[in-house]
Amino acid sequence: MRRLLDPINLAAFGFALSLIVVWQLLADAHLLSPIFFPSPLRAIEVLQYRAFDGSLWTSLAWTALRMVVGWLLASIIGIALGAAIGSFRLARVLLNPTLEFIRPLPASAVIPVAILFLGLSNAMSLTVIAFGAVWPVLLASVHGFSSVSPQLADVSNVLGLKRHDFMRKIALPSALPDIVAGLRVSLALALILTVVTEMQSSLPGLGWDIFFAQRSYRSADLYAGLIMLAVLGFAANHLIMLFERRALRWRNLGT
Amino acid sequence: MRKPLLGAIIPVSFLGLWEVSSRAGLLTLESLSRPSDIIEAGYAGLRDGSLLLATLQTCETALLGLALAAVIGIAVGTILGLAPTAERIAGPTIEALRPIPAIAFMPLALMMFGFGVGLEASIVAYACVWPILIVTISAVRAIEGRLLEVAAVLELPVWKRMTKVVLPAAFARINVGLRVAAAISLVVAVTIEIVLNPRGLGYHLVLAQQSLQIGLMWAQLVWLCLLGFVLNLLLSRLGGGSGLMWRPL
Amino acid sequence: MQPLRKTVGSVRPEKAEASALEVSGLTVRFGARTILDGINFDVRDGEFLCIVGSSGSGKTTLLRVLAGLARPAEGKVQFAGAEISGPSRDRAIIFQDYSKALLPWRTVRGNVALSLEARNVPASEQDAIVDELLGIIGLSRAKEQFPSQLSGGMQQRVQIARCLAQDPKLLLMDEPFGALDAMTRQSLQDEILQLVADKKIATVFITHDLEEAIYLGDRVIVLGGSPAGIMETMEIDLPRPRNQLTTREDGRFLAYRHRLFELLVQEHPPQAFEGKGQQ
Repeated sequence: MRRLLDPINLAAFGFALSLIVVWQLLADAHLLSPIFFPSPLRAIEVLQYRAFDGSLWTSLAWTALRMVVGWLLASIIGIALGAAIGSFRLARVLLNPTLEFIRPLPASAVIPVAILFLGLSNAMSLTVIAFGAVWPVLLASVHGFSSVSPQLADVSNVLGLKRHDFMRKIALPSALPDIVAGLRVSLALALILTVVTEMQSSLPGLGWDIFFAQRSYRSADLYAGLIMLAVLGFAANHLIMLFERRALRWRNLGT
Repeated sequence: MRKPLLGAIIPVSFLGLWEVSSRAGLLTLESLSRPSDIIEAGYAGLRDGSLLLATLQTCETALLGLALAAVIGIAVGTILGLAPTAERIAGPTIEALRPIPAIAFMPLALMMFGFGVGLEASIVAYACVWPILIVTISAVRAIEGRLLEVAAVLELPVWKRMTKVVLPAAFARINVGLRVAAAISLVVAVTIEIVLNPRGLGYHLVLAQQSLQIGLMWAQLVWLCLLGFVLNLLLSRLGGGSGLMWRPL
Repeated sequence: MQPLRKTVGSVRPEKAEASALEVSGLTVRFGARTILDGINFDVRDGEFLCIVGSSGSGKTTLLRVLAGLARPAEGKVQFAGAEISGPSRDRAIIFQDYSKALLPWRTVRGNVALSLEARNVPASEQDAIVDELLGIIGLSRAKEQFPSQLSGGMQQRVQIARCLAQDPKLLLMDEPFGALDAMTRQSLQDEILQLVADKKIATVFITHDLEEAIYLGDRVIVLGGSPAGIMETMEIDLPRPRNQLTTREDGRFLAYRHRLFELLVQEHPPQAFEGKGQQ
C-alpha cells in the first residue's frame, strides 16, 4: 500500500493519465483529426459496447487461443530439439548448419508458403506462429542443455544414473532458467505472429478487428483493439513471470 | 573438415530427394516445384534486376525506420538516463506501450500515411525504438559518475557535454541495442510488405504465391534467408569493432 | 544399506588387512602430455590414505582415475578384485567445489535422496534413510533448505551425506575442506574420521595441506615431479582417536610435518603448499 502511494508512483500514474487527458482535450477542441485520433473516451465506449454484446470476448478468446496453442507447439518442439542439440554431439553436427541458415528468415515470410499448403486456415496460422516463436526457446534450450556443469555430469556418472534419468533429473532442471527466459520471448513473438496471421488471412481475432476497423474507417474501434492487445500482451508476460518465480524459486533465495 | 560435411547431409539429401522424386513424377504437388526450377527462377530474377530492386526497396525502408528509431531512441533514452526521476515517472507508460505488437499499428499508419514508404518506415521505427531506448537508458545510467563530474567542473555547455562525454561513454552499449534493432527492422519491413504494403521483397513473395509462380516464391524465400544470414553476420562482425577501438580489452 | 550406528567406534581397524584398491604401473596422459607416470600403491580395507602434493601435481587426475571418471593410458587399477572400467556407486567421490556438485534446485533432502533414487530404493523407504543420514551429519534442521541458503561447511556436509547414501565401500575426497574456514575445517575433519571408522569405509583423501594429511591419515603418499610419481610413502604412527590439540602437539606429528615439508621444498618454492585453504 505504501509503495502505491509513493510520490514517484503517483507521479508516474499522473503522467500516463495526463497524456490521456491532454489527448481527450485536444480531441474535444477538434485540434486532432478525429479520423486518426478519436478521443480516448470513444475508444472506451467501444470497449464497453463490445464487452456487453460479447464480441470483444470472442475476439480476445480467439487471439489468446491461437497465441497459446502456437506458443505451446513452439515450446515443445524448441525444448525437444534444444535438448537433442545441446546434449548430443551428433545432433548438433547434423542439425546446426541447417537451422542456422533458416533462422534469420523472417517468420512472416513463411506465410505465403504456409497458405499454399494449408490455405487460409487456423492450421496455417498455428504453423506460422510455431515457426516464428520456436527460435528463442530453441536457442535458449540449446544453451541450457549444453552448459550443464561438468561436476553434475560427474555426479550423475558416479551414481550410475541412466541416460533418461540424467536428462530428467539433472539436465532439464539445470537448463530450466534458460528455457523459461526463452519461453518468455517466444510468447511475445507468438502474439505478434498471431496478429500478423489474423490480418493476413482474415481469421477472427483482435488482429482482424483492428484491420477491419481501419477498412471501415472506425478509428475508435481500432484503438479499442490496440488497448485489448496491450492488455493481453501484458497479462501473458506477467503470467509467465509468475510461473518463473514459482518454478525457479531456488534461484532467488540468496544466502 | 568432417563437421561441415556432416552438416550438409540433411539439406543436400533433402534437396536431392525432392528433385529426384519430382522428376520421377512421384511428387505431383504443384506447390513443391523443383530445386532446379527454383534456382532457375532465382537466377532470372537476379538477371532482370527485379529481385535486387525489391531488396533495395525493403532495405531502404528498413534503414529509414531504423535511423528514425535511433534518433528518437537515443535522444529520449539519454534524457531519461540522465534524469532518473523522469525515467521512473515515464517508466510505467513505456511498459504499457511496449507489449503492443508494432504490427498492430499498421492499420493506423495506413490511415495516416497511405501505402508507401511512410507507412512502412513509421512501423519499423516504432518496433525498433524500444530496444534502442531501453539500452540507451541503461547505458547512460552506467556512465561513471566521475566523468559527469569532470564535465561539470570543466563547465562544458550541455551540447558539448552530450557529444564529448555522455554519448561516447555510452556508445559501446548503445551499439548493442542498435544491432538488435537492425535485425528487427528487416523482419518488420518484410512483414508489413507481406500483409499490406505493395512494395519490396515481402510483396513480391506474396505476389509470386498468388500468381502461382511457385519456383519464384521459393527462390525469394531462399534469397530472404541469405539476406538475413548476411545481415546477422555483418552485425556480429561490426559489433566487435566499430567505435570500440579506444576500449581497453 | 547397512544400519547406521550413532555411537562412535573410535579405534581404527587393524592394519595389514587385505587390499581394497590396488594401483599398479598407472600412467595417465592428456594428449601428448604425461600427467602421472608409473604409480604403484594400494589402499587397505578400512584404511585412511592421504595423498599430498603441490598444485598441478596430478592429485585430482589420480582421484578421477580411481573414481572411473578418467582412463589410464597404462597400468591397472583394481577395486575389490576387479579392474575398474568406469564409475560405480561403490566408489563415492566428494568434489572440492561443493557449490557446483549439488543440485541447486533440490533441497538438502532431495540432494541426498538422489543417491537413493539411483540405487532404486523404494520411495517409501527413502525418507527414513535420508533422515538418519542427515541426523548423523548434523543437518536435520536444514532438511528443507536449498543449497544456496547454506554455508560452505553445510553444503559440504550435504555432499558427504549424499555420498554416504550411495552406501560406498571406498570414499574418494578431493580437497574437500580446502575452501572452508579453519574452525569448520577442523570439526569436519573429526566428523569424517568418525564416520569412516563407524562404517568401515576405506578412504583416499587428497589435500595440499600437510598437517591435514598427517592428522587424518594412516598413511601419507607424497606425489611430486613432472610427470608426477610417488616420492615417498609415510606410515603415520599416531594413536586414534585423534585429537585436534594433543595429536597436533605430539612430537611424532611435528617430525612427520618436518619430513614432508622438506620433501616438497626440494622441488618447489615453499608458498605452494604452506598456504591453507586457498582456491
